[in-house]
Amino acid sequence: MITISSVTLAVVLAIFMRSFQEGSYGIMVETAVGKFSGYVQVHQKDYWNDKTIDNGMVVNEQLIKTIKNIDEINGVNLRLESFSLASNKMNTKGTMIMGVEPAKEDAMIGLKNKIVKGEYINANDQSIILGSGLAKYLDIDVGDTLVLLGQGHWGQSAINAYPVKGIVKIPSPVLDKQVIFMPLLLAQSYFSFENGVTSVVVIFEDPDYTEEVSAAINAVIDTTQYQAMTWQKMTPELIQQIEGDKAGGIIMIAILYMIIAFGVFGTVLMMTEERKREFAVMVSIGMQKKKLMLISFYETLMMNLVGIIAGILLTIPIVYYYKVNPITLTGEMAESMEQFGIEAVLPTVLDFNIFLNNTLIIIVITGIAAIYPLFSILKMNVIKSLRG
Amino acid sequence: MKTVIEIKNLQKTYTETAVEVKAVNGVSLIFEEGEFTAIVGPSGCGKTTLLNLLGGLDAPTSGQVIIDGIDISTLSSRKIIDFRMKNIGFVFQAYNLIPVLTAKENAEFIMQLQNKSKVERETRIAELFKAIGIEGKEDIRPSRLSGGQQQRVAVARALASKPKFILADEPTANLDSVATSELLDIMRKLNEEENITFIFATHDQRVIDRARRVVYLEDGVVTKDELKE
Repeated sequence: MITISSVTLAVVLAIFMRSFQEGSYGIMVETAVGKFSGYVQVHQKDYWNDKTIDNGMVVNEQLIKTIKNIDEINGVNLRLESFSLASNKMNTKGTMIMGVEPAKEDAMIGLKNKIVKGEYINANDQSIILGSGLAKYLDIDVGDTLVLLGQGHWGQSAINAYPVKGIVKIPSPVLDKQVIFMPLLLAQSYFSFENGVTSVVVIFEDPDYTEEVSAAINAVIDTTQYQAMTWQKMTPELIQQIEGDKAGGIIMIAILYMIIAFGVFGTVLMMTEERKREFAVMVSIGMQKKKLMLISFYETLMMNLVGIIAGILLTIPIVYYYKVNPITLTGEMAESMEQFGIEAVLPTVLDFNIFLNNTLIIIVITGIAAIYPLFSILKMNVIKSLRG
Repeated sequence: MKTVIEIKNLQKTYTETAVEVKAVNGVSLIFEEGEFTAIVGPSGCGKTTLLNLLGGLDAPTSGQVIIDGIDISTLSSRKIIDFRMKNIGFVFQAYNLIPVLTAKENAEFIMQLQNKSKVERETRIAELFKAIGIEGKEDIRPSRLSGGQQQRVAVARALASKPKFILADEPTANLDSVATSELLDIMRKLNEEENITFIFATHDQRVIDRARRVVYLEDGVVTKDELKE
């Protein structure tokens, strides 16, 4: 029972910890990428190195059609992004203006559900929505008018005032304090950039195919004019952060596995020592050591198997619970995540590979531990062991 | 009488400690079928070592242990285990029953090693449990049996495989006088009625009183070999 419990605990700890680790990377990517930039974007070739509206592009129907024709791709979202000063009463702040196709953007990042006050925008609206952090800073509410002042296409002045239709709570606190969404047509008018966009966000189902989708797009578009970029290329700092975190995570998981290995070995050692007399009796009355070793190995294997199955069954609901109800971080940890634009929550991820990999590692650990009783039986001095 | 065991100039020397200890020092004995023999002597005289050598649990430094014409001291460890299973029954001082098995499972364990059929096992165990007076205790685990009952199960286990002889090392040391008397009655009855050979290592006077032959051992040497009847 002790051995089974120790293996069960090992499985629970290992899977639980890995699920949290992978969940935290997932939330980083999902918050910063999936729920904002998208996994692949197409830009005018120079745009990413010099993100000014002048490096935007006029929507090319042929380009859109070519991209949409690729099998994995479900559609595209057009965006026109630039910066402006926003002012209300005595408050002014530099903001990020995002001209979006409201319905498509809602489908991608679920903006409508994030509205905390007022209403969501429609394609032909002449109004805007803004992040709750920004609204608070500017002391502006739904129905008020926000003055925007910036630079339009080719140096034209961009100045206008727009009514606030809604306030949206963006998971990334950095964005929440600086973003303004407006319908794409309104943004094109504001920046005096007819049919202009800065990014074509490519929509597809499986983020695991990011590289393939990007390569497929680059293979069919005119790469002297446009370029498809993966989120890894667009946000290398996020990759660096994940890699850095993973290195720490590997050390942590290695320490955990060591603790698990010592725990499992300790219980097997204890069990073997306790049963030495029993083993000696069996050998003394005529059981071959090899047979005893085989039975002992089979017995340990069965106990480990029961422990592993119990561990998996126990872990699934726990991991699922924290996937649905992530732990909300507070304090310095939360602040440091928010500085990177990452939502300060720690969800788990219910991933078959995590279960499989960790189960295999535990099997290897318990398999190695199971060798000890075999050695013990092989080297057993029957007389000494009978004395106990 | 048929010779069951013959030991010739048997020696066992322990060299693990700084001082060399000759636990058995040139013992030669013959044990015949149907004997009820006690090997006696003070603590440390070599009784248990001699018994271990007879049972092939330990290897002699020199000399021979011949059972049914086979010198078991020359057998490989694998063959000697097999030999024990087929020919020798053991009864230990501390009973040494397997705690997770019931009384019946403990007794029939050796028969399973011998690949005896279920029917054969059931019949033999029923017969033995009746003979040693623990009928109805078949499904009880050792921890719930008294010391005397546990030792009876140990005797049943030793007899289950129909061995050529039983080696009993201080079998009564942990028993009270009533349990000792009952156990010795059973063993003596089995000896007399079924001609089973018993060899005891003991310093219990009650066992010595019941034995028909008493071998006295001192400092690993036989000092007296007495036939009482």
